[in-house]
Amino acid sequence: MKVESRSESSVGVMEGLGRYLPQGVTVFATGLSGFLTILIGLPVLMVILMSLRTGFPGEDVPFTLENFAAVYLTPRTYEVLLNTVFFAVSSVAITLVIAVPLVWILMRTDIPFKKTIYVLLTIGILIPVFLRTIAWILLLSPRIGLVNKWLQGLFSLSEPPFNLYSITGMAFVQGISFVPGAFFMLAAAYRSMDPSLEEAAYTSGVGKLRTFLKINIPITWPAIAGVMVYLFMTAIAVFEVPAIIGLPARILVLSSLIFTSTTPSTGLPDYGMAGAYGAIMLLLGLVLAFLYVRLVKQGKKYTVITGRGYRPREIALGRWKWAALGFVFVYLSIEVFVPFAVLLWASLLPYLQLPSTEALSSLTFKHYIELPNHVGPQPFINTLILMFAVPTITMILSVLVSWIVIRTQVSFRGFLDTLAFIPHAVPGILMAVGLGYLGLAYRDYFPLYGTVAIIVLAHTINWIAYGTRTTNSVMIQVHRELEEAGRVSGASAPRVLGKIVLPLIAAGVLNSWIWIGMLSYREVTMSLTLLTRSNIVISTVVWQFWGSGWVPQVAALGVILILFATIVVGTVRFALSRIGEIGSAS
Amino acid sequence: MKNLLTIMAGVSLGLMVALAGTSFGAASPIDPLIAGAKKEGVIEFYGPSTLGPEGAQALAAGFNKKYGLNIKLNFSPSGNMTRDTAKIVGMSASGQPPEWDIMVVTDAHHGSLWLRKLQQTFDYAGAGVPKDRIEYDSGTISVANQFALPTYNSKLVAAKDVPTKWEDLLDPKWKGKLGVINSTHHWGRLAAGPWGEEKTIDFIKKLSAQKPLLTRAGEMAQRLVLGEVLVSATLQDSQLHESQQSGAPLAFADQVQPVISPEYHVGVLKNAPHPNVGHLFVIFMASPEVQVIWKKHTGHSSAYVVGTDAYKFVQGKQVVYMKQDQAAKVDKISRQIGKILGFD
Repeated sequence: MKVESRSESSVGVMEGLGRYLPQGVTVFATGLSGFLTILIGLPVLMVILMSLRTGFPGEDVPFTLENFAAVYLTPRTYEVLLNTVFFAVSSVAITLVIAVPLVWILMRTDIPFKKTIYVLLTIGILIPVFLRTIAWILLLSPRIGLVNKWLQGLFSLSEPPFNLYSITGMAFVQGISFVPGAFFMLAAAYRSMDPSLEEAAYTSGVGKLRTFLKINIPITWPAIAGVMVYLFMTAIAVFEVPAIIGLPARILVLSSLIFTSTTPSTGLPDYGMAGAYGAIMLLLGLVLAFLYVRLVKQGKKYTVITGRGYRPREIALGRWKWAALGFVFVYLSIEVFVPFAVLLWASLLPYLQLPSTEALSSLTFKHYIELPNHVGPQPFINTLILMFAVPTITMILSVLVSWIVIRTQVSFRGFLDTLAFIPHAVPGILMAVGLGYLGLAYRDYFPLYGTVAIIVLAHTINWIAYGTRTTNSVMIQVHRELEEAGRVSGASAPRVLGKIVLPLIAAGVLNSWIWIGMLSYREVTMSLTLLTRSNIVISTVVWQFWGSGWVPQVAALGVILILFATIVVGTVRFALSRIGEIGSAS
Repeated sequence: MKNLLTIMAGVSLGLMVALAGTSFGAASPIDPLIAGAKKEGVIEFYGPSTLGPEGAQALAAGFNKKYGLNIKLNFSPSGNMTRDTAKIVGMSASGQPPEWDIMVVTDAHHGSLWLRKLQQTFDYAGAGVPKDRIEYDSGTISVANQFALPTYNSKLVAAKDVPTKWEDLLDPKWKGKLGVINSTHHWGRLAAGPWGEEKTIDFIKKLSAQKPLLTRAGEMAQRLVLGEVLVSATLQDSQLHESQQSGAPLAFADQVQPVISPEYHVGVLKNAPHPNVGHLFVIFMASPEVQVIWKKHTGHSSAYVVGTDAYKFVQGKQVVYMKQDQAAKVDKISRQIGKILGFD
């Protein structure tokens, strides 16, 4: 009797708890919002604080507008701003010119070798941007570029036809490097597009190219516009290409000014100026973030996704198959094959040389053999920590945010969603400068300066916007009735999340986990800004090697990393293909 | 006569014994440091990454052997000297002790610390360090010299075209074929020294009109090797030697004068946790045995120590060294030059 009585009492308590569940979720959502506000708000606050101070982190100095006066009353700032906008617009244009046809070919047509192309696209992401930039210098430099020399010889030109040291040249290299990211972002829109309009066009005798231009692009325009804004926001913050191609030709953009302010060649860093430059970026980022959110909302009005069980039909390319394969091959050549060939060539030379018989006779493996003398285990350990910790923390936070935003009725879920997106409005370099300032000025309360943890934090904040966008999109696809069934069976909200929702979205989450891990592996701007002797990672080793002029050594390291990554990515993609199609979450 | 000689010998011997007794009996300035170092037992050492852990431990072994100590040396290779110097400034501003006891950084970085009184001074001259190696109000001593000169690709530049004076870099034939590295303090040193501000700024404006390719030193060496740049207006000897070792065709335009010579200095930081071992180590860094270790691991030696490669190199040349009263001026002009050239 006693036992029964206790049992009845337990049921009563559970029911009572059930009644309180909405409040529990609200409390949890409040806690999560508070945590994210601190996480995201602190570095931003530091940038604002920095811009209003002169001196060094930790120094007790009064607030001033001196930095803003120095930045905004200088005409050069506006020239730099114009360069930044032109560079970003051109980069995005180049990306889309390649990415949109590429995604159409791979998502909507029956082009062969799809899986191989996916793997090669992923490998492209793994080649650090500045290694690729070195390859392009060897090809398109006005003085030594092989392509320029070849064209000059072929057409008897007095001047080299291409000049890499221009904003267009910078945009070309940067734009190419954005293609895989844009591809995976657009893939979902093209995969789920209703083919009825296409089919109607073909039935009416309209050609494939015209159908692509008149039907596919207009239908997916909101998705393309969203990607445009997203990439534009990324382009205004990138640093490597402006440093390697822009700086030698005196083409400065905002990110290069912020970097040189915090890492000058002479004297001490000027954090105040970095903060004042950063304020422009922050403002620009917030405006773009607003635009992006509006575009995404508008995009939903245009949604043409059909119901469950829908599977779009692939378009038979017929004789166009070879043209499509040619396009993909040309793109993969400039994204993967050529940079890899240049890396391989450079890694086998005693010092960097253009191809010649003399250079061929001096090929050596010594840089591979001596690599352990230059790189200890620490950068590899730190990089592995990043590759595991960053996606794990990011995806845990993203799943929790998306669960509240998509699956609950919490009144401030819209705020939480916007909060999670704000980091994308804050350029990575600025986030890192803010965190670095926080670590230096308030090290008693924030003792992370100089540790790998501060880079993990910077990367996590930076990619939480991406993480939540993907988890939002996959979670919205899971029908509520499954969760409701779980609830009816008496499972608690966390149990429903863990046992029903998570397994259903696992493929998407895992896909984003891998993607963020790869981005974290190759990211250099934030890691470099926060670099100290104890938190060195592979990307900063590569950067330092390049800065020290150790190009053959860095090339050897690059070749090993790419081969290793190819094996890992190939294996993971094969394993994931059993769970769900890659890219489905993006 | 014999007696006189005996008396003189006896007096001399007596004097020698007396003098020797005085010498042995008086406390040497380093004795308290040795005693203090024994108690401290450890030193936090910040130095150039080129020294490497092996070089740092070779220094520690030499130090312990010389003074009969068993001090543990923790080596922190420099990640970024500028940022780490700023870190010391920030830590001091917030009342925290520095992470390191001693720092081996360039004279320019020590200048930034000296302007904020962030080194501990010591009577290094009294401890036997030659005065010409002591700088910054006896807060640092010079360890080794770098040299910066125009550097060219010896395969692509004919012997007759090699610059023999700085002004040769302004010849129109070099337009679009020159490079300038971001170490703008090289020019700042000329401005604070033999050239003066006006001449230097005028030179830099003309150099900028040559449309040089701008980049960091290591990257410039690569661009020189590739032929993207035929002459780099300045390059440090460390980059030159490294490239030459790999067989790359780079050479100094060694007729050009004055030669610019940035120096590595070592000093004990204000509020350093282990000041005795710090000062003792600084004194040790002035010894000849350190030159052998430093040369072996970093490739640099001191122009102030007779017989070293650096000493031999500067013989008969006009060399620009930076002194403490020039630190602020070099810093200011270097920033101005950076803006003229387009670095920031």
